[in-house]
Amino acid sequence: MSDKLSEKRKIKSAKKMRDIMTTYYLDAMTAGQNNKQIAWITSGGPVEPLVAMDIIPIYPENHGAMIGASKMGEDLCIKAEDMGYSSDLCSYARADISCSVVKGGPIGGLPEPDMLICCNNICGTVLKWYEVQARFYNVPLFILDTPICHTRYSPEIAKYVQAQIDEYIAFLEKVTKRKFNYEKMAEVGRLAFEAQLLWQKVLNTTAHKPSPMSAFDAFFFLALIVTLRGTKIAVDFYKELLGEMEQRIKDGISMVPNEKYRLLWDNLPVWYQLKWLSQKFSDHNACLVADTYTSAWCGAIQYTNKDNFIGSIAEAYTRIYLNIGVDQMAGQVLDMIKFYNADGLVMHSNRSCKPYSFGQMDIMKIVREKTNLPVLMIEADMVDPRNFSQSQVETRIDAFMEIIKQKND
Amino acid sequence: MKEINIFYNALETLPVLASKIKAKQKKIMGYLCSYAPEELIYAAGFHPMRLFSSKSDIVQAEQHLQAYCCSLVRGVLEDSLSGRLDFLDGTVFPHTCDSMQRLSDIWRMNGKYEFFADVILPAKLNTQSARAYMKDVLTGFKKDLEKAAGKEITDTDLQNSIKKFNIIRKNLSKIYALQSKKPGIIKGSDLYTIVKGSMVMDRDEVADILPVIAGNLEKIDLPPKNIKRIVMSGSICDSPDIYSAMESAGGVIVGDDLCTGQRWFEGQTQVDENPMDAIAARLLNRVICPAKHFSPTARGENLVSLAKKNRADGVIFMLLKFCDPHAFDYPYLKEFLEKQGIKTLLIEMDDQQQNSGQLATRFETFIHYI
Amino acid sequence: MIYAGIDIGSITAKAALIKNNRLLGTHVIMTGYDPINAGIKVFDALLKQSRISKTQISAIISTGYGRASVSFADKALTEIICHGTGAHFMNPEIRGIIDVGGQDSKAIFLDQNGQVENFAMNDKCAAGTGRFLEVMAKALEVDLELLGDFSLAADKPSKISSICTVFAESEVISMIAKQERRENIIAGIHESAAARVAILANKIKIKKPVMMTGGVAKNKGMVNSLENRLGFKLIVGDLAQENGAIGAAVLASKL
Repeated sequence: MSDKLSEKRKIKSAKKMRDIMTTYYLDAMTAGQNNKQIAWITSGGPVEPLVAMDIIPIYPENHGAMIGASKMGEDLCIKAEDMGYSSDLCSYARADISCSVVKGGPIGGLPEPDMLICCNNICGTVLKWYEVQARFYNVPLFILDTPICHTRYSPEIAKYVQAQIDEYIAFLEKVTKRKFNYEKMAEVGRLAFEAQLLWQKVLNTTAHKPSPMSAFDAFFFLALIVTLRGTKIAVDFYKELLGEMEQRIKDGISMVPNEKYRLLWDNLPVWYQLKWLSQKFSDHNACLVADTYTSAWCGAIQYTNKDNFIGSIAEAYTRIYLNIGVDQMAGQVLDMIKFYNADGLVMHSNRSCKPYSFGQMDIMKIVREKTNLPVLMIEADMVDPRNFSQSQVETRIDAFMEIIKQKND
Repeated sequence: MKEINIFYNALETLPVLASKIKAKQKKIMGYLCSYAPEELIYAAGFHPMRLFSSKSDIVQAEQHLQAYCCSLVRGVLEDSLSGRLDFLDGTVFPHTCDSMQRLSDIWRMNGKYEFFADVILPAKLNTQSARAYMKDVLTGFKKDLEKAAGKEITDTDLQNSIKKFNIIRKNLSKIYALQSKKPGIIKGSDLYTIVKGSMVMDRDEVADILPVIAGNLEKIDLPPKNIKRIVMSGSICDSPDIYSAMESAGGVIVGDDLCTGQRWFEGQTQVDENPMDAIAARLLNRVICPAKHFSPTARGENLVSLAKKNRADGVIFMLLKFCDPHAFDYPYLKEFLEKQGIKTLLIEMDDQQQNSGQLATRFETFIHYI
Repeated sequence: MIYAGIDIGSITAKAALIKNNRLLGTHVIMTGYDPINAGIKVFDALLKQSRISKTQISAIISTGYGRASVSFADKALTEIICHGTGAHFMNPEIRGIIDVGGQDSKAIFLDQNGQVENFAMNDKCAAGTGRFLEVMAKALEVDLELLGDFSLAADKPSKISSICTVFAESEVISMIAKQERRENIIAGIHESAAARVAILANKIKIKKPVMMTGGVAKNKGMVNSLENRLGFKLIVGDLAQENGAIGAAVLASKL
C-alpha cells in the first residue's frame, strides 16, 4: 500500500480530538488555579449536572483506557496486587487505585477529586472502587443506585432513581456551596442530547458498504461523548466528524482497503492491542463495522427528553445497555447485526467486566440460532495484558476468518 | 447431642429433606443470598431454602458462565442444569453482586422452575429514598408471593413468621455467644452444620430444636482451654473441614463476619411495628454485605468491633476466589485490624477445592505466630 | 500434480503428500526446539521416503502452531481448517473432530459438506492436552506409550479434582505416597483430561460421527475415557496424528 493511499485513509478529525482531549486534561490539572472543582465520575454516570455547575468531570475509566493503550496497565495492576488487591479484580479499578498512590500512568496521575460521583448502572465494581477512593482521598461520595432492569423499568425503580436525582442536586449544592443553575442545566441538556444524536449518526455511517471507519476508530472517537458531553465543544466536534465520514462515503474511502467481510464487536476494547487487532482483521479483509460498547453512549436517546433533560435523566441513565437483562441485550445485538449487515460476531470475553461478559455465551447461542452467523470468542482483558495470549488469539481469529470466507465465497 | 445430629441427618441428602417438606404440601423456594426475605416467603406458606453448590464437576454450566466466575454461582447453576435441584418450585434472586445478577438472567432464560422472582433490593442502604424503595420492593415481592400462593398474606401471617425467625436468630446468637464465652463448648463443624441447617431445613423444626441445643450447651461447664481465639471474615464458608482444620491447629472460631454466619442471623426483626416496615428495617440495619453500601468504612468498623468484642487473637479472611466485593474490601479491613494490633491471614478458597493439607499448614503457622 | 501439507506441532512435525486426490504418504518427526528446521527435515524425509523430488510438488500449505516458520510453503492455514479437511478427506461421513495435541485441544463441528462451521479451543492451561499426560507419565515413571494400557487395567479409577496441571501433579504425588495402584491413578488422570476435552465438544454441540485426531489419539486409555464421557464411540484412524498435514495437503490441491 503506497503512502498516499494510507494517508487518504487516515481520519483527519483525529488530530483535533487529540488536541481537545489534551486541553481537557490540562484544564483539569490546573483546576485549582482557576477556582474550579473536580468530580471523578463513573463512565455511565450523569455528567450533565456537573457541567451545569461548572465542575470539571474526570473519568477514571477513560484514564484506565489511556493506561491500557499506553501499555502501562501491567505495571500498575501489579502494584495494586502488592497493595493487597486480588489480580482477579477489574483492571480499570486496580490500575486507578495504584495510580492514585504512585502517581503513575501516561499523564502522571489524575488530578485529585473534590468529590466522587458513582453510578452503578454499569456494574457493582464501581461501588467498591469508589469506596476505596473515598477512603483514600477523604472526599464526599455520592452514589446513584440504579437497580438493574432485568425485565422492565418498574415504577418503583423510576421513583427511587428520581428521588436520587434530587439528592444528587442537593449533594452538588452542598459540596459547591452554590445554588443549582436550572437554566444552565436546560442548555447543557440540549447540548448533551444533540451530541448523542450526532454520535449516533456517526456510528450509523458504518452501515454503508464499505464502511468509512471501523469500531477501532469508534473506540478512539468515543472519548469526547464520554468526557465532554453537555458542552458545545463535543457538539461541534461530532458535527465535523460526521461531515468527514459522509465525505468519505461520497469519495469511496473505506477504512479497510478491501472490505469483504463485516463484523460486529461485543464488549470493551482490548486497549493495549488495538493496532494489532485492527491490522489482523484488515489483513483478512474484514472490517469491524460496529460494536455494542460505543453505541451505549447514544442508546439512551430514546428515553431522553431534550426539552426536559433533568426530568428524563433517571430513566435515561437506568435503562442503559448493561443495566438490562441478557435476553434484552441479545435482542439489541441481533438488531445491530441486521442494521450493519454483519457477517459475524466477535465477542471479547473480558475478565475484568463480569456484567458484560457473563451472559455472552447465552447471547452467542441466541445469535447462532437466529442468524446462523459464526461467532468468535476472544479471551482477554481490557487493560491487563497478562490475560492476553497473542498466539492463541491469532489462531482463533484466523480460524474464524477461514470459516467466514468459506461461508461467503 | 442428638439434636445436633438431626441437623447432620437433614443435610446429608438434600432430595430426602426436600421430599419431606413437599410431603407437608409446602412449595420450596430456593435462594442464594442472605438478603432474601425469608420471613415473607415463609409467611406465604412456602419453604425458603438457601442453595449451596453440591461441589460437583462443572460441565453444563461451562456453556453459560466463564471460568472467572465464582464457584458458588457456577456450582449452583450446574446443580440446576443437571437436575439436582428439580425439587425446587421456584427461586428468588435478591440483588447481590454482578455475578448473581447475570446468573438471575441466565436462570430465568432457562425457564426451569414454576416461580421466579427478582427482588431488586437497593445497593445503597443509608438514605430515606433507599428505605422507601426497599419497602416498595418488598411490597411488590409480597404481591408476587400472594399470587403464587393463591391467597393473601395477612399481617398475622407476617407476625407469626417474624416471631419464628426471631427465635431461630436469637438462639443461633446465643449459641455463638456461648462458643465465644467458653470456646470449644461446641465443635466448629457442629456449629457450621447447625447454622447451615437453619437456612435449609423446615423452620418450624429448627425453631423447636435450637432452644434445646442452646439450653444444653448453657449447662455445660468447660475449663478454659489453651486455644487461640479466631474470628473469621468472608462470604460463604461451606466447608466443615475448615473448622476441624482450625481446631487441630489449636484455634477456635469465636465469631464471624460471614454471609453464611452471623451477618445473616444477628439482630431481631421488631415485633411491635408494622411488619413490612420491620422486615425492611432489619434488612437495612443488619451487618452489611460488601455488595451493599452504608458508608465507606462501615464494614471495617464493624469487623474491628466484632474482633474486639470476641477478644480475637487473630482474624482469618476466607475469601472465595472471584468474589469481587469481598476482595475490594480486604486491604482496608486488614489495615483497620492491624492498626488495632490484630493479626490477619488471607486464604483464597474455591468452593470446589478440598485442599486440606495446604490449609492445615497455613492455619498451624498462623496460630503459632499470633 | 502432487501437493504437500506440513503440520508443525509443539511436540511433533508431520508431512503428507496427495496425488490425484489420493494419499501418497506421510511422515512424522519430533519438532524439537527449532520449528524452521523441523519443517525442512520432515518435508525432505517424506520426499525421500516417497521417492519424489521437490520440483514435482505443485503447492504446499503449512499448519500448526509453527506454520509461520515454514517459509517455503505457499500459504499458512490454521490447524482447525486443516483437521476439518483432513477428516472429511479420510472419511466424508465425519461431522465432528476432537483434536488433542501437545499443547492444546480442540473440538470442531463440520457441516454436511465437510466445511468447518464452528470450533472451540481449550483455555490457557495444559489440562486436557498431551503436555498434561506427559507430565503425569513422568511423575509416575511410566512410558508415555504405555499410559493407555495401564489405565485400561484399572479397577477403581482415582479422582483428581484439580483442573490445573501443576496441582493435579501434586495430587498424583500424594496418591503415589499413599501407594494407590498406578493403573488407578492413570485412569483417573485420563478421566480428568477427558472431562476438560468433553467440555469443548459440548460447547459446540458436536454431532456424530466424531473422529479423534492428534497425537493423544494413540492413547487407548484417553480414547476410552473420552468415549465414556461423551457417551459414544470415537473413530480413531491409524493416521490420526497426521490428519492435520493430510488436510493441509488436500487444501494445497485446491489452491
